[in-house]
Amino acid sequence: MYNNTLTAALLGAVCFAPMAQAQTAYPLTIENCGVDVTFDAAPETAVTVGQAGTELMYALGLGDRVAGTSVWFTEVLPEFTELNAGIERLADNDPSFESVVEKRPDVVVVQYEWHIGPQGIVATRDQFADLGIPTFVLPADCWAKDNSTGSDGTRLAMFEMDSIYAGVTQLAQIFDVSEKGAALVADLKAREAAAIEKAAALDLDDASAVFWFSSAEMDIDPYVAGRKGPPGYMMEKLGLRNVVESDEEWPVVSWESIARANPSVIVVAEMDRRRFEADDVEKKLEFLRSDPVTSQMDAVRNDRIVILNAHSMDPSIRNVTALETLAEALPEFDLQ
Amino acid sequence: MSDLAAPRVTGRTHGLWVAQGAAILILAVLGGVVIGETPLPLATVAAVFANNIWDAGLIVDPIDAGIIWSYRLPRTLLAAACGAGLALSGVVLQALVRNALADPYLLGVSAGAGAGAVAVTILGVGGGLLGISGGAFVGATLAFAVVAMLARAAGGGSAQLVLAGIAGSQLFNALTSFLIAKSANAEQARGIMFWLLGNLSGVRWLDVVLAAPVTAVGFLICLWFARAMDAFSFGVSSAASLGIAVRRVQIMLIGAVTLMTATMVSLVGSIGFVGLVIPHAMRFVVGPRHARLVPASALAGAVFLIVADIASRMLIPGQVVPIGVVTALVGAPGFALILVRNRRWS
Repeated sequence: MYNNTLTAALLGAVCFAPMAQAQTAYPLTIENCGVDVTFDAAPETAVTVGQAGTELMYALGLGDRVAGTSVWFTEVLPEFTELNAGIERLADNDPSFESVVEKRPDVVVVQYEWHIGPQGIVATRDQFADLGIPTFVLPADCWAKDNSTGSDGTRLAMFEMDSIYAGVTQLAQIFDVSEKGAALVADLKAREAAAIEKAAALDLDDASAVFWFSSAEMDIDPYVAGRKGPPGYMMEKLGLRNVVESDEEWPVVSWESIARANPSVIVVAEMDRRRFEADDVEKKLEFLRSDPVTSQMDAVRNDRIVILNAHSMDPSIRNVTALETLAEALPEFDLQ
Repeated sequence: MSDLAAPRVTGRTHGLWVAQGAAILILAVLGGVVIGETPLPLATVAAVFANNIWDAGLIVDPIDAGIIWSYRLPRTLLAAACGAGLALSGVVLQALVRNALADPYLLGVSAGAGAGAVAVTILGVGGGLLGISGGAFVGATLAFAVVAMLARAAGGGSAQLVLAGIAGSQLFNALTSFLIAKSANAEQARGIMFWLLGNLSGVRWLDVVLAAPVTAVGFLICLWFARAMDAFSFGVSSAASLGIAVRRVQIMLIGAVTLMTATMVSLVGSIGFVGLVIPHAMRFVVGPRHARLVPASALAGAVFLIVADIASRMLIPGQVVPIGVVTALVGAPGFALILVRNRRWS
């Protein structure tokens, strides 16, 4: 009986899904980070500025439309290595305005407003609009977020995975692949729920954490995750209290304050970037274990350190993977 | 210059001055250790000192102990060494170039340090061996060498030194901007700016071991040449006519200044205001004679930077304001007050 109901429900879902996500009707106008963007047809080519946008295009099966990529933080997700190898990389870091325009893209997919936005260092959205090139900023960077203050912007409200899902859905709509978008969202949501459930089973009461991204110099005050970004969201969902109480995305907080707050878990970012000495995850671990103060912290003494890919701490579909990694690690730690 | 005829300091009053100075400095250091971002009880601080100095074996939370002995104490001592070094550099340069606007960064040292730091961070010069501080030190000494050679080629007068310093600073600042524009993204530049504005948060004992001897040697050199600096205040030719070996004294003093500023700027970034204003403030208090001005400036610089560092940790709770911002924020009104009061006296 139960099985029959389930089968019926599934059948219903399969049958109705295509109807719910009808084909995109063009011209399509989308309100995107305070700008109305209109598409007359599904874009044939796209340039991506920001790895999150690049990987989202790949995940939606739109790799063949990507004419160029830029702003790489780390290796592409392993499942896209082959696909990515065949696509031109305009720049490892920020592309120049002209190198983007030269590709004559039908849309530019942007991860961060500080690249392309009101004060974009590549260009403003108007500059692209003047040339008839629409820009699409992943909404996670502007939903309830003020990018004019704080070095990485300041969040007005807690980051939500819904802002990622909205990005997936809207991008899918723009490219007329709404079905794929819906499937991707459903998959991510299921994984998110499973990870949260796993942590909920631990019944954490008094556990806390800090996310250490990097530091401008090895001993100097580190960049750590603020309250309301994706790491803040992950901690909240997993029942961990963030010892940092800033609304900035990546505030600088002293080791003194962090050590005294004495979080139960330390999450350190692992990345390919080698701009600062502390970008190297090995150097981070070495510092934590050798510094006279941090080496005394509970998390260090009990080896409750989780290594997480840095890119999965910034808004992207990778947030779900990060949530899973954390939910995997927590049961090992014997937390209260 | 009537103060030059001030009564001679007797041995006893001299000792009193030294004792008072030492007391003020110790109080300031204690303040720097006790006051921080997170509140720590005085008893804990006392226990940590007892444990480290007399091996008292008192029970203290190891994190609290580490914060006091490994973070706050070296940080405060470095602030003292740095403040004294910068103030002394200001005294020397103001005497040598006879310009009220002379500050420790006049000789291009700060601009050179910035360029060196950027070269290391962005271009990867030194292959990871140098670090930001190492790069900054190399850049600072290089910039000074350029300025010194330019001043020499231009005739070697004090006006030439000032102008060469301006040219050198502009050159190295432009180089920094060029490197940032050429190859860094915004994030990279931000890390460097953070450092350039001055930051004491990463200070550990090793930094104190590097900086304190440099300041001590600089202080002794300045004290040794105090009378020579008095003479320089009347111009190079007057100094020469008083029997001072002008060239040798200049080289010794400028060498001391370069070493001090290059060390400080490479350890904590370029902290402004201290070197420019403390000497002027102290001239109002103890008069222009360098036998008094040198120790008074060193003490005032040390105390001032400790206080500024405490303020930088307290102004915005949970966040540290760059100390360079605080020195000007706290120092400018204080200096204004001294200026106005001095007018009333004279």
